[in-house]
Amino acid sequence: MAFQTRRKYCFFKENNITAVDYKDVKLLKRFTNDNGKIMPRRVTGTSAKMHRKVVSAIKRARTIGLMPFVDSGSE
Amino acid sequence: MRYYELIYIVSSNVERKKNDQAMKEIGEKIQETGSKIINHIVWGKKKLAYPIKNNTYGTYILAHYQGGDNDKLREFDSWLKLSDLTIRHMIVKLDEKPDTVESLEGDKSENDTAEKGEDKSPDEESLKKEKNKDEENKEAE
Repeated sequence: MAFQTRRKYCFFKENNITAVDYKDVKLLKRFTNDNGKIMPRRVTGTSAKMHRKVVSAIKRARTIGLMPFVDSGSE
Repeated sequence: MRYYELIYIVSSNVERKKNDQAMKEIGEKIQETGSKIINHIVWGKKKLAYPIKNNTYGTYILAHYQGGDNDKLREFDSWLKLSDLTIRHMIVKLDEKPDTVESLEGDKSENDTAEKGEDKSPDEESLKKEKNKDEENKEAE
């Protein structure tokens, strides 16, 4: 009964993306859970460098109303 | 010299004319600060993730410019905050010189269909689907 290990990988390294734009909501949604919370690095597997960029991009998207602070799902 | 990106939301309840007027006024104010405007385009009407000043929809407008006088730019920021032209705005520093863009195509076309084609396209699609279903049923029989 061995557990299957799921390989973690950095999404950005795999796709050769070096910059994150706050206007790219479709990409950023990948890094939030259903409630709109930013998922931790240990879950997404993103490299530390890119995770910092993702976090700041999500926060920018939130202030300009592109992403929710809290997604209650009632909308 | 730094490059900046300004994004602001105009209430979608106002008419097109007022929308253009806001763009014009803000464009003039940017030029007053001694900045060079690179882009000033409408991104499109979007649903806001949460209501801002009782608006659920807003028109996003994007501007890129090369910064001029710093004190005047700060003044411009506070002027935008106080003016009634926009419901929210944000100014972001850019690392590199932005490319000149005429329109954000992918997003714009989506919005156009959402605004204009709402009456037509869904009906056509549903009709097609129904037709397909009929054909499938016939084949099944």
